[in-house]
Amino acid sequence: MSSIGAQIRAHLPYQRRNAASFALLIFAMVLTLSAFAEVGLARDGYIPKGLFLYGGGLVVLAFGAYFVQAKFAPYADPLLLPLSVALNGIGLAMIYRLDLDTSEDHRVAAAAGKKLLKDAADAPGQLMWTFVGIGLFVTAIVIMRDTDKPDAPLSFTPKTAQRYTYLIGLGAIILLLLPIVPGIGAEINGARVWIALGPFSVQPGEFAKLLLVVFFAGYLVNKRQAMSLIGKKIGPFSLPRARDLGPILVIWFFCLGVLFMQKDLGTALLFFGLFVSMLYIATQRLSWVMIGMGLLAVGVFVATLLPFMGHVNQRIDIWQNPKPYFDGGCLLESGKVVPVNPDTDIFKKYKAKGSVSPGFSACAELGGEYSDSAQLMKGLFALGQGGVLGTGLGQGEPWRTPLSFSDFIFDSLGEELGLTGLMVLLLVYALIVQRGMKTAVAARDPFLKLFAGGVSFVLGLQVFVIVGGVTRLIPLTGLTTPFLSQGGSSLMANWILIAILVRMSHDARKPAPQAIQDEGMTQIVSTR
Amino acid sequence: MNMDKPIRRVAIFGLLLFFGLMAQVNYVQGSQADNLRTDARNSRQYSDLFNSPRGTISAGGEVLVSSTETHKDNPKYGRSYKDGPVFAPVTGYFNGNATQVERAYNSLLGGKDKRITQQRWFDTFIGKKAEGANLELTINPRAQRVAYEKLKGQTQEGRRGGAVVIDVRTGAVQVAASWPSFDPNEIAPQTGDKGVKRLNELDGATGVIKPLVDNALSQTFPPGSSFKAVTSAVGMQDLNVNSSTTVNTGQLILPESGRPLPNSHDSGSCAGSAPLKGAFAESCNTSFAKMALDLGIQQLHDGAEKFGFGKRVNLEPDFPAAKSEVPVSVQDASGKTIPTGKDGTARSGIGQENVRATPLQMAMVAAAIANKGKIMNPYVVQKARAKDQSELYNASPKLFGQAMTGDQASQLEDMMRAVVSEGTAKNLQSANIAGKTGTAEQGQGIPNSRWFVGFGPFDNPRYAFAVITEGPGDGATNAGPVAAAIMAQVLKK
Repeated sequence: MSSIGAQIRAHLPYQRRNAASFALLIFAMVLTLSAFAEVGLARDGYIPKGLFLYGGGLVVLAFGAYFVQAKFAPYADPLLLPLSVALNGIGLAMIYRLDLDTSEDHRVAAAAGKKLLKDAADAPGQLMWTFVGIGLFVTAIVIMRDTDKPDAPLSFTPKTAQRYTYLIGLGAIILLLLPIVPGIGAEINGARVWIALGPFSVQPGEFAKLLLVVFFAGYLVNKRQAMSLIGKKIGPFSLPRARDLGPILVIWFFCLGVLFMQKDLGTALLFFGLFVSMLYIATQRLSWVMIGMGLLAVGVFVATLLPFMGHVNQRIDIWQNPKPYFDGGCLLESGKVVPVNPDTDIFKKYKAKGSVSPGFSACAELGGEYSDSAQLMKGLFALGQGGVLGTGLGQGEPWRTPLSFSDFIFDSLGEELGLTGLMVLLLVYALIVQRGMKTAVAARDPFLKLFAGGVSFVLGLQVFVIVGGVTRLIPLTGLTTPFLSQGGSSLMANWILIAILVRMSHDARKPAPQAIQDEGMTQIVSTR
Repeated sequence: MNMDKPIRRVAIFGLLLFFGLMAQVNYVQGSQADNLRTDARNSRQYSDLFNSPRGTISAGGEVLVSSTETHKDNPKYGRSYKDGPVFAPVTGYFNGNATQVERAYNSLLGGKDKRITQQRWFDTFIGKKAEGANLELTINPRAQRVAYEKLKGQTQEGRRGGAVVIDVRTGAVQVAASWPSFDPNEIAPQTGDKGVKRLNELDGATGVIKPLVDNALSQTFPPGSSFKAVTSAVGMQDLNVNSSTTVNTGQLILPESGRPLPNSHDSGSCAGSAPLKGAFAESCNTSFAKMALDLGIQQLHDGAEKFGFGKRVNLEPDFPAAKSEVPVSVQDASGKTIPTGKDGTARSGIGQENVRATPLQMAMVAAAIANKGKIMNPYVVQKARAKDQSELYNASPKLFGQAMTGDQASQLEDMMRAVVSEGTAKNLQSANIAGKTGTAEQGQGIPNSRWFVGFGPFDNPRYAFAVITEGPGDGATNAGPVAAAIMAQVLKK
């Protein structure tokens, strides 16, 4: 029996699906423009001026991207671009809605000299990063234009990356290390995952994610035979030789170590999941997935024991029982949680003393670990407020949740679009991931298969970790919500990710080379 | 080695992750949404509270409490209370937090109750806010006003007074008045910071007067001789006495201290021996103290529980009255348990020592007597109607308990009549009511708590009442006329 990939390829239409892509893109644009219009109508009572700037800008960009895709990757999967544009547009509309500077009432009040709530949502910045992101998408498509001639000048295809496996692995490490280098590293919101580049702060982890996929793919594709066939059998598990598994474990431990030092548990979890899944794809060894899970459990256990990793403990405790931590809770040695919120006497005592962070000081006196579940709880309250159909864009109060425009944008959308809206968003993500997986199956080259599979899975896993976190399915760890969260690094990295998938899907779906003329008995040999 | 199979498995695993997320989102936004919206920590519900009008509260066809538009952003709606201080013991206040009926019926008034949201499920589904329901109280507003004015007139300056009238057949509370009271208008949402300050002031009152604690349902007093009705009822059940049993009304020496227990007078029935009815009518302390000693404190305590002593009587869900007590033992300031001794038992029998009762509790005692021993559970809300006038709730009378037999009740009924016709309350003979007087000492330098507890009309009782005022003098002359005036209004057709 032929493989599933061969079966799919046998049934592929080898058709250009550009018309479908175009129609879907128009739908994505209508969705985005309606979202902007609704924000304006609901919040300010008229269609916002921003509609032309933001909506118009996005329309021009998206259609630009479409034409580049239609020219350079005509056989590409028709869904990837429109789905990404829709997500990006909805995210932009939500950030526009949360950015009070775009509200007319707010401008009038500011002009009158009233004191206003400060908000950190930055719609113009996000629009700019969308420009950059889609620009990168276009550039990437153009640069990776010809996989048939990988040696053509200025052509860097996904396949080319295989040649630089170790360099790319090194690059991933350097990117991850950058934030802890004094001088360029910057700590924002308690995690040291940023570097300052002039006026911008960049999260190199977002890019390291892509490089790590390439490294794992390149390495595993060479070693997978050796790893899965040669090895010692211990009980039900067969272990590969140290020299095969060694480098990958070194890289992996290194990454996780760096991430734990940066207190960026979300990314650590993401990389871990990526590693295990790619190892599985490459070797088909379920037992190794088990070993991986065991390693994770050991890692988490060790983390809870280390004194400077106390917050891991707490993340888990908050996840199980967030209520006592609301507005400040203190986890004592005994495992008991003592509230130190502003209503408690001990908080008031330190407040009266003029402590900068009274809850923290109070907890120090009690000898416990301070933490606060207000973010998570407020995010859940936003979801509860939204209910089934949501309050409608511009009609809820998503700004009550801290970080409503970045980590918690999914909850903000849940409040205003409701369960219905969130189900649609999750379906869109699931579709992107599944189209990516289909690309992986249809791809001919083992490296590209691993690459596409890894990239798709890492996107899905990232959505799972952050959305699961803000909906209290799993403990909350900070990650960006792909395409929705405010932030340039994430947008850029994810647009590159989509460009790679688009390029690979084009290669997988285009017809195999045909004989130019009947050459009789001569056999055409495809090298791929 | 082909990688398609593992990729497909990973793809399926990816789908499972998304199914997990979808299930969780459905769980949170579908089934948890209500809990999250009403979570105490959720500040949204408080800002939301003032954005829509609450239902009205009315009594006797008169709207007492309504929401008013403020034409401001926050709060959009205020709350206005007609004759606020008069009705506050029943309505309570609302300023985000709420008390009494405003609290007990918060979800109906605010439009968040399931009975409304289920009826208006489509509105709920599309996110339209259901409007709050309107409540109708069982209160007789005219009688309530009379009660308030009379209490105000008869209570000593700086002291307290309370009155309760209940319909003995249903338990519907007709009057629940308190002096002093507070004006909920002063702390309604529209008053802003000033209201918050005022509320703290009211709440922080340290003297004997705590305006937020009403003296009809939420405050207890020593019932004094009015408690003899309970002692008699328990005696009839456990000691096999009846209204014509001859009892000793002469001197009683307290067993522990060896000191005599005084009667208010030693003439008439209290001269040495008399039938129970006579001793009751003239309120001879010694007979009832003796009866309590014969019963023992535990039996007196258990008997009183049948009337509602010992637990908080629930008027409405989330609206309990204060607990009335006949304690078997008390705890002193240091937490030590002190049992009620023999002397204490004797004094408990005449409603002194540590016996305490709310006016509501004493009205329930009278109701049992007037209703063949049956006590109906007291309640204050008759009906709740949605904005479209459809009925969401209609109170149905519930039995609270059978405190004594019908025969015992009718004997006590006669005994109460005797109080007015030949006993301590002869001054009330023209008032068409019967009852038991009470004058309880509250300690050195503290005014008496003066009671009149009974029923009306005199012949065919329909309503039970309890009135207490604090001040010098006795119950018959200081609480009796208040009860007479209130009952005159209640019985007016």
